[in-house]
Amino acid sequence: MVDSNKWGMVVDIDRCTGCQGCVVACQSENNIPINLEEHFNQRRAIQWIRIERYWEGEYPDVKARFIPIMCQHCGSAPCEPVCPVYATYHNNEGLNVQVYNRCIGTRFCANGCPYHVRFFNFWEPEWPESLKNQLNPDVTVRSRGIMEKCSFCVQRIQRSTRESERDNEVLEDGDRGLNPACVNACASNSLIFGNFNDPDSTVSKMKEDAMQEGGRGYRLMENLGTDTNVIYLRKVDEFVVEAPHG
Amino acid sequence: MQEHTQLSHKQINEDLLKGVLTVPKWWLPAVSFLGLVVLTGLGAFFFMMYHGLGVTGLNRPVMWGVFIANFVFWIGISHAGIMISAILRLTQAEWRRPITRAAEVMTVFSLIAALHTPLMHVGRPWRVLYWIFPYDFSRGIWPNIRSPFVWDPSAVGTYLIASSLFVFVCLLPDIAILRDRAKKPIVKKIYAQMALGFRGTPRQWKLQILAGILLSALVLPVFVSVHSIVSWDFAVLIGVEGWHSTIFAPYFIIGAIHSGVSAVAMLMALSVWLYGLDKYIKPDHFDAIARLLIVVATTWFFFFFLEWVYALYTLAPPEIALRELQAFQWPYGPLFAIFIITSFVIPVPLWLFKRVRRSVVWMFWTTVLVNIGMWLERFLIVIPGLIRRTHMTFDWGTYHPSIVEILIVVETFAFVCLGMLLFAKVLPLVPLFDVKEGMVNRRLIKVGRRVIPATIREGLPHHYYEKKQ
Amino acid sequence: MVNDPGDRVLEPYVETDNSVETRKAVSDGLLGIHNITSNRFWQFAALFGIMFIFGIVGFVWKLSSGFDDKSTWGYYVAVFAFLMTTSSAAPMVAIAPRIANSHWRRPISRAAEIWTLAGCLNLILYIPLIWLLPSLENGRRSLWFYGQQEGVPAYSPHIWATLAIVGLVLLGLSLLWLSTLPDFAVLRDQGEGWKKKWGGKLALGWRGTSAQWNWQHHRMGVVGAFYFMMLVFVHFFISVEFLMVHVPGWIDSLYPITHAHNALQAGVATVMLTMFFLRQFGGYKDYIGLDQFWGLGKLLLALSLLWFWFWFSSFNVFWYGGKPSEQAVLELFVKGPYLYLFITIFILVFILPWFTMIWNPVRRSVWGPAILATSVLIGTLLDRIRLYVASWDVAGRSMAKELEMKMQDVPTKIQTPGYEDIFIMVGFIAGSILIFMLATRLIPAVNLWEQKEMLLYKAEIQFHRTKVTVMGKPR
Repeated sequence: MVDSNKWGMVVDIDRCTGCQGCVVACQSENNIPINLEEHFNQRRAIQWIRIERYWEGEYPDVKARFIPIMCQHCGSAPCEPVCPVYATYHNNEGLNVQVYNRCIGTRFCANGCPYHVRFFNFWEPEWPESLKNQLNPDVTVRSRGIMEKCSFCVQRIQRSTRESERDNEVLEDGDRGLNPACVNACASNSLIFGNFNDPDSTVSKMKEDAMQEGGRGYRLMENLGTDTNVIYLRKVDEFVVEAPHG
Repeated sequence: MQEHTQLSHKQINEDLLKGVLTVPKWWLPAVSFLGLVVLTGLGAFFFMMYHGLGVTGLNRPVMWGVFIANFVFWIGISHAGIMISAILRLTQAEWRRPITRAAEVMTVFSLIAALHTPLMHVGRPWRVLYWIFPYDFSRGIWPNIRSPFVWDPSAVGTYLIASSLFVFVCLLPDIAILRDRAKKPIVKKIYAQMALGFRGTPRQWKLQILAGILLSALVLPVFVSVHSIVSWDFAVLIGVEGWHSTIFAPYFIIGAIHSGVSAVAMLMALSVWLYGLDKYIKPDHFDAIARLLIVVATTWFFFFFLEWVYALYTLAPPEIALRELQAFQWPYGPLFAIFIITSFVIPVPLWLFKRVRRSVVWMFWTTVLVNIGMWLERFLIVIPGLIRRTHMTFDWGTYHPSIVEILIVVETFAFVCLGMLLFAKVLPLVPLFDVKEGMVNRRLIKVGRRVIPATIREGLPHHYYEKKQ
Repeated sequence: MVNDPGDRVLEPYVETDNSVETRKAVSDGLLGIHNITSNRFWQFAALFGIMFIFGIVGFVWKLSSGFDDKSTWGYYVAVFAFLMTTSSAAPMVAIAPRIANSHWRRPISRAAEIWTLAGCLNLILYIPLIWLLPSLENGRRSLWFYGQQEGVPAYSPHIWATLAIVGLVLLGLSLLWLSTLPDFAVLRDQGEGWKKKWGGKLALGWRGTSAQWNWQHHRMGVVGAFYFMMLVFVHFFISVEFLMVHVPGWIDSLYPITHAHNALQAGVATVMLTMFFLRQFGGYKDYIGLDQFWGLGKLLLALSLLWFWFWFSSFNVFWYGGKPSEQAVLELFVKGPYLYLFITIFILVFILPWFTMIWNPVRRSVWGPAILATSVLIGTLLDRIRLYVASWDVAGRSMAKELEMKMQDVPTKIQTPGYEDIFIMVGFIAGSILIFMLATRLIPAVNLWEQKEMLLYKAEIQFHRTKVTVMGKPR
C-alpha cells in the first residue's frame, strides 16, 4: 500500500501492431462522438488516443511504424498554467485532469500542448439513435465549445480505488477494472497501466528497467522537460527507429 | 511662410467644430454603410455562437486563426494613441498638437475592436465573465493568475480605462466650448453634464494639464505591458517553436508602434481630405511623422531580422521547417513577400524623399501599405506558427479562414471607422485647446536673413536658474 | 505685426543676441577655461598613468598565460565588453539629441564624442580575443549557418566581428574629427604654441564658409547614423560571439538588443559622470548646467526602466516554459552561484535609479544624477562580470558541441579573478580615463561652435509676468 498514487503508463512500441483496438475502446468508453470522414478531413476528429503511423525508408524497403499517443499527463504540463479558469489542473494522483464545467474554450491549452492531444468540441456532439443507449453513464457527455482529452479513464480509477478502500484491500495492477479501456483492449499487451509510486507494480519495474543506461525507455519530447507519466519503449530491430522525441 | 500663420481663436473654433456643427454630404451614406457591415459582422457572430465554432476554419492543431491575428493587429494599432500623445507630450514635440485627439480616440476604438475577437472566439462566450472578471463567483475559484490570458484582460482593461480617461480629460475644454455653442437645450444639457463644469479658470486649467501629464506618464508602463503580455500569450508556450522566442515582447511593441503610427498618418490624411483641416495638419506634420516612421520601421526591421536569425541559429529542424513554410511555401510564401515589401521595402526608401514625406497622398498610400503588411505579419506569426512543422509530422495542419471569420474581421475594421465617424460628429477630432496653446507658444526667430519657427519651452522655470546658480 | 489667438499684438519675430561680441565672449570664455591646466590635473593624470602601466603589465601577463584554458579569460572579456558598453556608447549621447534637435545637448556633446578616442584601447584588448573566438569548425551554433551552406569560410565570425569593431572605432574617430573641425580652426587662429600648430594641422583648412558648414553638418548626420547602426551591430556580434556561443541552449533572440541597450544606459551614465567632473573640477560650471543633468536624467530614468523590461522579457519566457535547457541557463546567470551578484546588479542598475530618478528634484540636481550614474556604471561592470565570467566558465568545459546544457553542468561557484585580471580591469579603465583627460588638453571639452550656434536659436522674452526661453527649431 502506498500513500499516494501516481498513475502512469508504459507503451511498448515494439509490440504495437497498429490495430487501432485501443482507439475504438476509448471511443466507446468515454462517450466520444463518432468521427466521420468529414471530421478527419476538417482535422477536427476527436481521438483521445490515436495511432500515428509513419512510413520509413524508401520503396521497396518501406516499413510502417506505429506509435500510440494519448495525453502524457505531464508532471510539469505546458497546458496547465495557461488555462485562465483552472479548467485543467494537476491532481494529487499525477493526473492532468480536465474539468469540463469550468472550461470556457479559449483553446490556449491546445496550443500549448506539444503532443496535440487536446481536442476541442467544434460542434454539439451527436450520436445516431441506435447508439444513444450505449453511452457510458460514468462519463460526462461534453457539450460544444469545451476542451477534452484522455483522462486515463479516471472513472475507472475512481471506482476501483474507492472499492478497494471500502474493502480495505491493496489495489494491485489491473484489480477491480482499474485499467483504462485502451489497456484492456490492447491485444498485443503493448499498453501497460499502473501506479508509479508503488515499487512493486509492473509499470514501476518496467520503468526502472527501461530508463537505466542503455534501456529502451524514453519520453516523448524529453527536451521540453514536461516530465511525462507515459514511458515509451523503443522498437527493437536492426533499424534505428526515428522516434519523435527530438 | 504658409507654415507659420497665426490663426485667431474664433477661426480655430469655426474650423475645428465644423465637423460637429454641420453634417457633410458623405457622412450619412458612409455611416449607414459601415453600420451595415458592423451589423453583418454581429450577425455572423451570433450565427457562430448559435452553431458553435465549427463554422470557422479552425481545426487541430490550428486552434487560433485570423481572430487572434486580428486581435494582435488592433492591439498594435491601439498603441498609436499613447505613442503619439503621451510620449510626444512628455518629450514636448510641438508637432503632436493637432493629431493627438484623433490618435487617442483611435486607441479607444481599436482597443474595443481588439477585445471583440478573443471574446467572440472562445467556445462558450456566455461564460466569458469567469475569465475576465477577477472574482470567484459561485464557483469558488478565482481566475488562474499564472495564465497570460488573465494578465491580458487586466492589462487591456487598464489600458482601455486609462486611455478613455485620457481622452476625456483632454476633451474637457473642448466640450465646454461645445456646451457654450449648442443651441438645442437638450444637447446643451448633455454637453454641460459632460464638461463637468469646466469654465476655464486657472485652477481648472492647472488640474487639467496636470491630469494630462500624469495620465500620460502613468499610462506608459501600461502601454508597454499590454503588448508584452499579448506577446507572452504566444511566447511562453514551449510547444510552439515559432512562438517561443524571447524577443517577442519588444518585437510586438515596436511592430505595434510601426503600424499604429502609420495608422495615425492615415487618419491625418483622411481628416485633411474629409474635414478640410489642411490649415492645421500641414506638410510639416506629415514630414515629422514620416521621420519618426523611418526610425521606427528600421528598428522594427532589425527586430524582425533578429527573430529570424535566432530561429535559424537554433539549428532545430522544426524551426527551420517552420521558417521555410512561412517564407517559401504556398500560400504563405507570397503573403510573406507581400508583407516584407509593403511594410518595409516600399515605404521606407520612399520616406527618405522629402517630396514623399510632405505629400498627403503619398503618405496616405504608403501608410496603408504598412498596415496591410503589418496585418499579414501577425497572420504569419499566428497561423504558420500553429501549423507547426514539428517532429510529429502526423499532426501538421492547414487552415483556411471561413466566411464567418472573414465577416467578423471585416466587422472590426468597419467598427473602428464607424466609431471614429460617430465621434467626429459629436466631438471635435482635433483638440481646440491644444492647437490654441501651440499658437500661444509659437514665436518666430530671426536667424540671419531667415525667419524660423520657434516655441516657448516648458523647461526649467526661470527662477530656478537664478536661485541655484 | 501679428496677432496671437488672444488678439494681442506680438512682435513679428524675436531677435536673438548673435552679435560678434557675444560670440567672441562665448569662445573666449571657453578657450580661457580650456587653456588652463591645473596641477591637480597632472597629479590625477599621473595616477591614472601608473594604473594604466599596471594594466599593460597585466595584459602582457595574460597573453603569456596562453589561450588554451578558456575559463580563465572571462574577466578579460568582461573588461573588454565593459569598455565597449561605456566609452564606445557614450557618443550616442551626442548623436541622438543632435538628430532630434535637442538644444540641451550642446555643452556635453563634445565630451561624449571624445570618449571614442578611448575606443583605441578596446582595439588593443580585442586583438587577443581573435584567437579566442570559436571558429565554425567544431560544430558550434552559428549565425553563419556553417555546414548547411557551402562556401562559408570557417573563420567568418572572426572576419565580421573584427570588421565591425574596427569600423566602429574608425567611425567614432571620424565623427569626433568632423565635429571638432571648427574648433580646431579656432585653436589655429587664437591658440598658442603647440595647440596652434596642431589645430592648424587638424583643421584641414576650415574657413567657416557656408559650403563647409553644410558639408560638415551633412557628414556629421550621416556618420552619426552609421555609428549608431554599427554600434548596434557590434553589440550583436559581441553578445553572440563572446557570450551565447559558449552557453549551450542559450538561444535568446532578445539578448543582442539587451546588450546594446545596456550600452546606451552605461553610455549615458558615462557622459553624466563626465559632465559632473567637468562641471565640478574642469571649470565648466557656467556652461554645464541643470538643464543637462535634467535632460540626461530623464534619459537615464527611461533607460533604467527599459533595463527591467528587457531583462524581464527574456527571463519570463525562459522561466515560464520550464524547458530544462533554459532552466539551466537561468541557473547559470540568475539563480545559481551568481544569485547575490545578480541581486546587487538589479539594485544598482534598476531599483536605485528608478526609485530616485522618478523624483524631479533628484533629476534637477548635480549630485543626484552623478551618484546614480556611478551606481549604474558599477552595476554594469558587475553585470559584464556576471555574464562573461559565467559563460566563459562554461566554455572552459568545452561543451561547444552540445546543443543544450544540463543542470548538472552549471558551475557551482564563481571563478576568482587572478592578479592579472584585476590589473587589466583597473588599468584599462584608468587608461580610458587617461586618454580622455589628455585629449581634453587639445580638444576643447565643451563644444565652441555648438555653443555659439545656440545663440542663433535661443532668446529670452517676457511672457505675461514671467521670463521664458524661446527655442528655434531649424529645419
